[in-house]
Amino acid sequence: MTHDPAGMSGKDLIFAALRHQQTPRVPWVPFAGVHAGKLLGYTAHEVLTDPDKLFEALLAVNRTYDPDGQPVVFDLQIEAEILGCELLWVDKAPPTVASHPLAADMHMPSRLPEPTDGRLPMILDTMRRMKDEVGEHTALYGLVTGALTLASHLRGTEIFMDMYDHPEFLEQLLTYARDVAKRVAGFYLDAGMDVIAFVDPLVSQISPRHFDKLLSDPYKELFAYVRERGAFSSFFVCGDATKNIDAMCRTHPDSISIDENINLVTAREITERHNITIGGNIPLTTHMLLGNQQDNMKFVVDMLDRVDSRNFILAPGCDMPYDVPAENVVGVVQAVRDPEGTRVMLANYHAESLDLDAVQLPDYADLDKPLVEVFTLDSDTCAACSYMKDAAQRATRELGGRVELVEYKFTEKANVARVVKMGVKNLPSIYVNGQLKYSSLIPSNRELVEVLERYLED
Amino acid sequence: MENKLEVIRGGIMDGDMPLVQRTVTAALEEGISAPEILNEGLIKAMGEVGRLFEEGEYFVPEMLIAARAMKAGLAILKPKLIDADVKPVGKVAAGTVKGDLHDIGKNLVCMMLEGAGFEIVDLGTDVSPEKFMDAVKVQGVDVIAMSALLTTTMPNMKNTVDALVEAGIRDSVKVMIGGAPVTQAYADEIGADGYAPDASRAATLAKQLLGV
Repeated sequence: MTHDPAGMSGKDLIFAALRHQQTPRVPWVPFAGVHAGKLLGYTAHEVLTDPDKLFEALLAVNRTYDPDGQPVVFDLQIEAEILGCELLWVDKAPPTVASHPLAADMHMPSRLPEPTDGRLPMILDTMRRMKDEVGEHTALYGLVTGALTLASHLRGTEIFMDMYDHPEFLEQLLTYARDVAKRVAGFYLDAGMDVIAFVDPLVSQISPRHFDKLLSDPYKELFAYVRERGAFSSFFVCGDATKNIDAMCRTHPDSISIDENINLVTAREITERHNITIGGNIPLTTHMLLGNQQDNMKFVVDMLDRVDSRNFILAPGCDMPYDVPAENVVGVVQAVRDPEGTRVMLANYHAESLDLDAVQLPDYADLDKPLVEVFTLDSDTCAACSYMKDAAQRATRELGGRVELVEYKFTEKANVARVVKMGVKNLPSIYVNGQLKYSSLIPSNRELVEVLERYLED
Repeated sequence: MENKLEVIRGGIMDGDMPLVQRTVTAALEEGISAPEILNEGLIKAMGEVGRLFEEGEYFVPEMLIAARAMKAGLAILKPKLIDADVKPVGKVAAGTVKGDLHDIGKNLVCMMLEGAGFEIVDLGTDVSPEKFMDAVKVQGVDVIAMSALLTTTMPNMKNTVDALVEAGIRDSVKVMIGGAPVTQAYADEIGADGYAPDASRAATLAKQLLGV
């Protein structure tokens, strides 16, 4: 957990941002849904159904990515499953809705979810545990499926034709979806969530005229409800919803979160007119999934150059893909915590004046004792780096003076040259006797001690 | 005469299926040829719908009802087009890749391609590389169009391209891809012939790939 110089916790920062106050730095919310599982080797199905694995994975996210705010679960099929949709599960993504109960039968449902339905018991339990464990310093987000997306799960793609063929039916269906969303939001608020985000990716597929006609009133009511309950609200959208941002703002959420399909600067001009906080929009595929650590650091510092820190929360464009390399997210954290230092690091990385000849690498084949080298971005500002360093220190301490430890921070140019000469790809990393052992994911004490003991035996 | 074609175009753009059906029938009775109604009425209107979609004026519902009206008009024209020996501009097999059930984007692509004069083999969702290959070998399609919404299913686009290469039929078909997480860079990386960011541009791309 990082406190900023003004002594504000991450949660304080999120609250200040959602109250539209100036913050000492930009707060950060990693949307780690199924990706949380990757940190501990759990499948999407495991973290979305097993409360202990979900809780463990969320704590790993909290530790590794040092979030100011954090969603407890990111799955837009929770309500649909309760209401009779069949789900198709895969290992590395949230489930997909495979059947739509209202596709052929246009009978309007009326039953609302109970806290004992579907996966709600395990989700509510995890929310309470997260509240106890990290809730003091991390703002917790409860994500609720938005009205149009939930209605489309129930009705299927016919919903688009309903806008013309069965407008009254659609209006009733959206009212029902709103009631479901309100009820689930209420459960999440009871379980201690600080922010309720209504996630409605389908909003990007309809016109502002349809938004005003069909969704404006339901969303006004949802955001008013969250406000009445004394919590904060957010409206998440995916896809190019540029044309709907103004209409979304007019439903009065505290914040709006967008993905990379929307130009953040353009969208921000609109949200600023309504004094609404905007969140986003680190590209999920090109940068987080397929880019490297430097790409992500550069994207964030460039973004921070373009966007004023007030009314802004840094976040991925949407739910992070399962296989996003942890080091890319660590790079994002470093960049948002210390933009100036990160600029220096990036410049160093590309500096052509690096004197590689001046770097003397140890003779790894002929060491007196095992050598642990910890390469960090900056263990003073990067949480994952400090945990990596702590892990190495703890293990070497436990082994007395039998193992040597040295840290190389990327903030110093000589160390950058060493990183390049060693071929270190990602930070933080632990090398033992010149061999990469851990990258971004922090080893447990026992695991690292065992590895080092094997080197001692050799 | 022009008036009827204008009414057809307006009807498609408004998604007014009964008006389009009525006017196509009346236009044929008036002696306007089926190919002219197809080209100057249906295809031209869908081109305009695509343009408005690209510009962010039309959204998914507007496109879907326009396409439905176009299809209703096309159904009336089809027998006459066969009589007049009008051939489609190309044959496209479209599908959402294996493991992915999302079909809104794929359906829009099919509609826009049909509206641009292509014959469509709609393979549906969760389509394996083998099924795409069968469309090339058995149905003789000119283009394979693959869609994916999930980053986890995108690799099945590459698997399909690789399977075509392995089967020695890669050169006999053009491959185009699209979907929310897909980019031109990804298309280049996996050896696809093209990427389209939306359904309208998918139709333009298919024509470019076939040089029609």
